[in-house]
Amino acid sequence: MGFFGNLDSESYDRKYTDKQLVQRMLAYFKAYLSRLVFLVFLILLIGATGAAGPVLLGWGVDLVRDDPSTATVFRLFGVILTANIISWAANWLRRRITVRLVADVALRLRQEAFSAVMHHDLAFFDEQSSGKIQTRITSDTEEFGKVVVLVTDTFGQMVQALILVVILFTIDWKLTGVLLIFLPVVFYAATGFRNAARYVTRNGMRAMANVNASIKETVSGIAVAKNFRQEAEIYKVFETANTTSYTVNIRRGFVLSMVFPTLNALTGVATALLVYGGGLSAAAGAISSGAWYLFIQSMGRFFDPMINLSAFWTQIQGGLSAAERVFALIDATSTVTQNGDRRPAGLKGEIEFTNIKFQYSDRQQVLRDFNLHIRPGETVALVGHTGAGKSSIAKLLARFYEYQEGQIKIDGNDIRDLNLSAYRSQLGIVSQQPFLFAGTIAENICYACPGDSAKAMMEQIARQIGEGEWLDALPDGLDTMVGERGGWLSMGQRQLVSLMRVLVQQPAVFILDEATASVDPFTEFQIQQALKLILERTTSILIAHRLSTVKAADRIIVLENGSIIQEGSHDQLLAQGGHYATLYDTYFRHQSIDYRPEGV
Amino acid sequence: MELSSAEFILAKQKIPNRTGPVRWILSHAGRYWYLFVMMTAGAFGNAALAAAVPVLSGMAFNLIQNKATQAFSLGWIAVLLIGSQILRGVVQFGRNFGAELIAQRIERDIREELYVSLIGKSMTFHNLQPVGDTMARATNDVREVNFMFSPGVNLVIGSANFLIMPLIFAPGYHPSLILVPALFIIFYFISLVQYLWELNPITTQVRSAFGVMSTRLSEALDGIETVKGLAQEISEINRFRENSNRFRAVLVKEGDVEARFVPMLLLAFAEAGGLLHALLLYQQNAIDIGAVVSYFGLIQMFAFPTFASLWAYSQVSLGLSGARRVLELINRENNLDQNSRGYAGAIKGEIEFRNVTFAYPNSSPTLVDVSFMVKPGQTVAIVGQTGAGKTTLVKLVNRTYDVQSGQVLVDGVDVRDWNLEKLRTGISMIEQDIFLFSRSVAENIAFGKPNADKAEIELAAQAAQATEFIDTFKDGYETVIGDRGVTLSGGQRQRVALARAFLTNPAILILDDSTSAIDSGTEDKIQRAIYSAARGRTTFLITHRISQIRWADVIVVLRKGRVAAVGNHTDLLASSEAYRRIFSE
Repeated sequence: MGFFGNLDSESYDRKYTDKQLVQRMLAYFKAYLSRLVFLVFLILLIGATGAAGPVLLGWGVDLVRDDPSTATVFRLFGVILTANIISWAANWLRRRITVRLVADVALRLRQEAFSAVMHHDLAFFDEQSSGKIQTRITSDTEEFGKVVVLVTDTFGQMVQALILVVILFTIDWKLTGVLLIFLPVVFYAATGFRNAARYVTRNGMRAMANVNASIKETVSGIAVAKNFRQEAEIYKVFETANTTSYTVNIRRGFVLSMVFPTLNALTGVATALLVYGGGLSAAAGAISSGAWYLFIQSMGRFFDPMINLSAFWTQIQGGLSAAERVFALIDATSTVTQNGDRRPAGLKGEIEFTNIKFQYSDRQQVLRDFNLHIRPGETVALVGHTGAGKSSIAKLLARFYEYQEGQIKIDGNDIRDLNLSAYRSQLGIVSQQPFLFAGTIAENICYACPGDSAKAMMEQIARQIGEGEWLDALPDGLDTMVGERGGWLSMGQRQLVSLMRVLVQQPAVFILDEATASVDPFTEFQIQQALKLILERTTSILIAHRLSTVKAADRIIVLENGSIIQEGSHDQLLAQGGHYATLYDTYFRHQSIDYRPEGV
Repeated sequence: MELSSAEFILAKQKIPNRTGPVRWILSHAGRYWYLFVMMTAGAFGNAALAAAVPVLSGMAFNLIQNKATQAFSLGWIAVLLIGSQILRGVVQFGRNFGAELIAQRIERDIREELYVSLIGKSMTFHNLQPVGDTMARATNDVREVNFMFSPGVNLVIGSANFLIMPLIFAPGYHPSLILVPALFIIFYFISLVQYLWELNPITTQVRSAFGVMSTRLSEALDGIETVKGLAQEISEINRFRENSNRFRAVLVKEGDVEARFVPMLLLAFAEAGGLLHALLLYQQNAIDIGAVVSYFGLIQMFAFPTFASLWAYSQVSLGLSGARRVLELINRENNLDQNSRGYAGAIKGEIEFRNVTFAYPNSSPTLVDVSFMVKPGQTVAIVGQTGAGKTTLVKLVNRTYDVQSGQVLVDGVDVRDWNLEKLRTGISMIEQDIFLFSRSVAENIAFGKPNADKAEIELAAQAAQATEFIDTFKDGYETVIGDRGVTLSGGQRQRVALARAFLTNPAILILDDSTSAIDSGTEDKIQRAIYSAARGRTTFLITHRISQIRWADVIVVLRKGRVAAVGNHTDLLASSEAYRRIFSE
């Protein structure tokens, strides 16, 4: 019905003018011009047959009274049946076309939005939560498409009402006036109810949210509550919220229950006046009984458009904001831009950072004047406090973010001159939260596998690590399902899978942002084995959190505030003292087997 | 009898019939029978008064045609019309609000019933039941039951009365005029059943296609670093294109079924057919012109049930499936009993696992033939890969689960022979995901001892090394967790939980520490807190910290549910090859 829809339309900071928005929206519908034309035709037809109903009836009443022959009766029956069937068939077609139109426009917009999003750089994802992006791609596109339903429905009802008004007016303008007086009354009643409904519904939802929060807290914290036998106490909290929600929602129900009775009563009063006024005119012979009947029958066909019209503007606004949100998604500019399209073949992995300056958008400078040379095949570990710039270095090399000044070269090529996807396929990147897609372990390892040969390799490598013991721990080996985001696997297993991915990919450069979650010693041992295999074959940049990883590096780079303050091997640096020794005490010392906390 | 085993029972709870969703809903609804009377009476009155419009209009027609024979003057007819329609508004409101009251009360009642049953259920239940699923049932499904009454049942009863009115009034004009209404009602139900039968499977397809599309979409967005890192943007775009195309296809299919809504066509035939019938009778002078008008108006009343049926019936069926899911959760077994007459001595802390085997329902055993012995006050480290059964093993001690065979003995008494309350009070369990309530820090610490005074709480916090961060909060111990963005890190949560344990002073402490972060800057403090918590009580540690393993009194190495090795560090270095490989640096 659309009466209670759109209660949550929110204001959105505008980037486009209404005119721009409408023009751009029209462009999407233009592709379906023939459908639109047909749709308009159908709407006119529906409007006409809708108006024809009462007119035919009124005409029929007079006709049958004057000439009550069987032929007349059957002719009347034939005409009305035909009009009804045409109306139904036209509605049928209209709905078929509308559903396609909405689905296709939403589909096109959705696919455009998604592919735009896939090509944005990571800075974009830092600013937009993935939940919001998802809403824009799934529901805002749909809402956009529905604008057409809204416009056509209202348009159709208007056409019908207009036709009737013209006819009624020619018959008896005074009676028509009586009818028209009621329209603004219905319009304002509907608007008033809509505002009241919005208010009580918002309160109702808030109260409901409290109840849900209370249940969520109970269900998540049930172990604690049971452990300490506090069930009765948390029940009290729930009970209060539940009762409050009931009271508030009853108030909502009270308001909503009044809407249709009030509108119906209004219609009833209007009908009574028409019966009375029309009856007097008919008795006086000013109009025919048929015309009188026509007035009574037309009554209901004016009120629905009024009710819809009272919602029209809010809903259109909703559609426009939805369109705006989707367009904003498509139009966001990517800061990472390539200057060239060279496809590097067989990189060795010599990396050179020269005078790099970098900051995330409008935040403070992360790297001021950063220089680092990494030899082919070298393993470099980056250590430092949070915010020292470790992951920024890795992310710049991966071209996830754009740096403002300086140059990064790989094997002598400026990384801005390379074809981005060819370049990235030479990088093996494992992020701190290893990400798996729903599917099997094999599918995840082979997420970017070029062909079947890689599959055989995968089996072989999987068996190599920890003598394949990690595979035996899984119910279906490589075909084990990992669940959404890999949630059915432990953190350690997810790390193993993402390392396995790199082993199959065989990149020239390996970038690891090491996970900080602790992993059981057995899995940890296997992770180290896999890591060792990768490090042997690649130039590696490791953002290290584990003692064993730091120890495995050829060179440790100690970072503070975006600058290198120490470098060397673990033993050299420990001997030197200074910042590395402090870092070691804070983050690494407790990972050694002989550690005991102070004072124990 | 089933109830006596629940862990939480409300004193004056009325038990509804839980043998099936329909019976269950009816037994809830039965308590509000007077509201049903109000709703049904309102619906009948509403329909009858709606029928008054065509009846009175017909009279007006006759009055104009043939002035003498009518009982009322035109003015009286108008007054009656206005009066009846205002009265109709009142009774219709009664119908709507009656339905609304039933709906809201039933929602409140079943949510409460579900809630009470949830807190009464054993930990076994809660450990096996995903939070997301429980929440879905407690929120959406309960809501569906509400919607089932308002607007669902409300519209169904309302429609039924609108269907009946023409049947009642039409024969008054001429007995044969019952024909069209009767035929309409018969075909209406047949085509409605057919429509719903056709629509249901497609609706399911639409939901699942949308699910597939949005699940993969959210994965691609959350895993954007992986996608970009492996240069898979194009393959993700293609995959999304495929998924969204599939969604579009089923959506259109659904739209086509909805477009071809046959009851609407029936209405078109009923109107024309009814008119024909009435006019033929009029032509034979069997009825007057007023009767034609009234009768035709009565036929037009079928429009409401026709439109309402687009969603009234599916609303009821959605509500029933919601009720089924909620009831299923309520009816799921509570499989531990309190054993209040069991052994109730003070726990000393000796624990023995004797040939313990355990399997989760419908799966292969998680623990097989586990045996080991712990003396009071010892610290036990449980080590093994994920899935080796570590967490399950400790959960047998406080009877979160019960063994299938073998025995777990505390102080030489089988845990199943202990008074459950006594046993649990003596055991403190700190799980992987430490849950804190959205209350003050002090209340969270004192959760197990609500009457603890301020000094006690602070002492416990001190022992747990938690004062260091609590003091940095502006409101100190009164800081409400979760308020204004106050969140605690994993290490901080752990220390609050340890403070809880210090306060209740249990003889046995179980600490599942397997998700801690490796690079925590406050590691020293956390470990110091754990060491002092372990002092003087039997402690089970599930830990990945190799130093904690190394210093434990007993190390139990689990491998695929079996004990691979038991002993202290020195023993194991000598006896276990696997252990040596990892722990000798």
